[in-house]
Amino acid sequence: MLATIGGVFAGLLALPAARALKKKFSKTTAPSDYDASKHKWLMCLDVDKCIGCGLCADACKTENHVPEAPHFFRTWIERYIIKKPAPNSITLRGEVMVDSPNGGRGGFPPSLVPRDEILKAFFVPKLCNLCEASPCTQVCPVGATFDTPDGAVLVDPTYCIGCGFCIQACPYGCRFLSPETKTAEKCTLCYHRITRGLKPACVEICPTQARVFGDLKNPIEDDPLQAFVHKNKVNTLKPHLGTNPRVLYANLDKEVR
Amino acid sequence: MRFFNLPPQIVRLILLIFAILVSYLVARTLLTPDTFRDYGFFRGAALSEHISQHKPVFAGKAACGERHPDVLKTLAKGSHKNLSCEACHGVVSQEHLKDPANKMLKPTPQICVRCHEASPSRPAWFKQIIVKDHYSDTCFECHLPHQPNEAP
Repeated sequence: MLATIGGVFAGLLALPAARALKKKFSKTTAPSDYDASKHKWLMCLDVDKCIGCGLCADACKTENHVPEAPHFFRTWIERYIIKKPAPNSITLRGEVMVDSPNGGRGGFPPSLVPRDEILKAFFVPKLCNLCEASPCTQVCPVGATFDTPDGAVLVDPTYCIGCGFCIQACPYGCRFLSPETKTAEKCTLCYHRITRGLKPACVEICPTQARVFGDLKNPIEDDPLQAFVHKNKVNTLKPHLGTNPRVLYANLDKEVR
Repeated sequence: MRFFNLPPQIVRLILLIFAILVSYLVARTLLTPDTFRDYGFFRGAALSEHISQHKPVFAGKAACGERHPDVLKTLAKGSHKNLSCEACHGVVSQEHLKDPANKMLKPTPQICVRCHEASPSRPAWFKQIIVKDHYSDTCFECHLPHQPNEAP
């Protein structure tokens, strides 16, 4: 009887060993021409170059088949209007108004604030901030969200249970629950495009090069990323949260959150 | 039965711990996806699945240049040189790829105005017009879209 129990245990123990051995000798799942460990993608955004045309938000929806409803966005544009301070208010700037009608998709309607009351106004394109220490990955209870070695943060739709923790955890509001798949969705950095050697759709379509995209591990000649960081004073959104975003912004105003 | 003269309750305890350990290892093996830990603490196959399940929609400027190098050459001379073709003409459709007779979108003045309408939020360096004060609302009377500083 003892021998039988021992044999069963030995047999059961052999199973994990066989699995581990099979894994060691079976092929990796990476696409044959793309090695995720040989790239590190980075996005830079220049606030002073964004004209708020909304082509990026539009292109993102087309490229990624994002649900049409006006509150699902993987990238969007916000319009900041800072009013002049009231007389004798001892402040330098007045009220800050932020709006993003339909994510800026169809362009922006004229603002309700008269031009002579505006101290300054600008557009800020927003997308997933590609955090090094991403809060969304940390809170996922089933490990469906993960950081890829090349810098994207992706959702595995076959494992996502749609609990929405990540949507609450993201300090930048970059996630939503898709009404079609009932899973969390977000900017994938157009992972299906960059792995095929194309630029993300928003970068491809931006008419003013407000978005600069590149690979830190394979710098090209006259690298636009190097030039961007060299030329501009760059900052990230909400640096005090320690998420360490890899989306860099140039000419960011302190009001931008 | 006795191992090394151990009391039976200790033997039972050892067997129980062993059984728990083995069932944990078996369950972990059966439940862990094949490609787990290929790249990190996640299912590695999710990457290749994502890539193969999504096909690019926008073709990109380089793809347009294969068939229309002359247009890109003209475009590169003017101030619209950084514009992507699909920004104004729309996505390159499968119909257009199959048969060039299926024309791409012909840009309308609305597409020009989307960017060039004056707005206090637009940066000052960007060329803007107040449409109602501008000479005409049919842009292409005076501007070539591929070379906006030239007249037709």
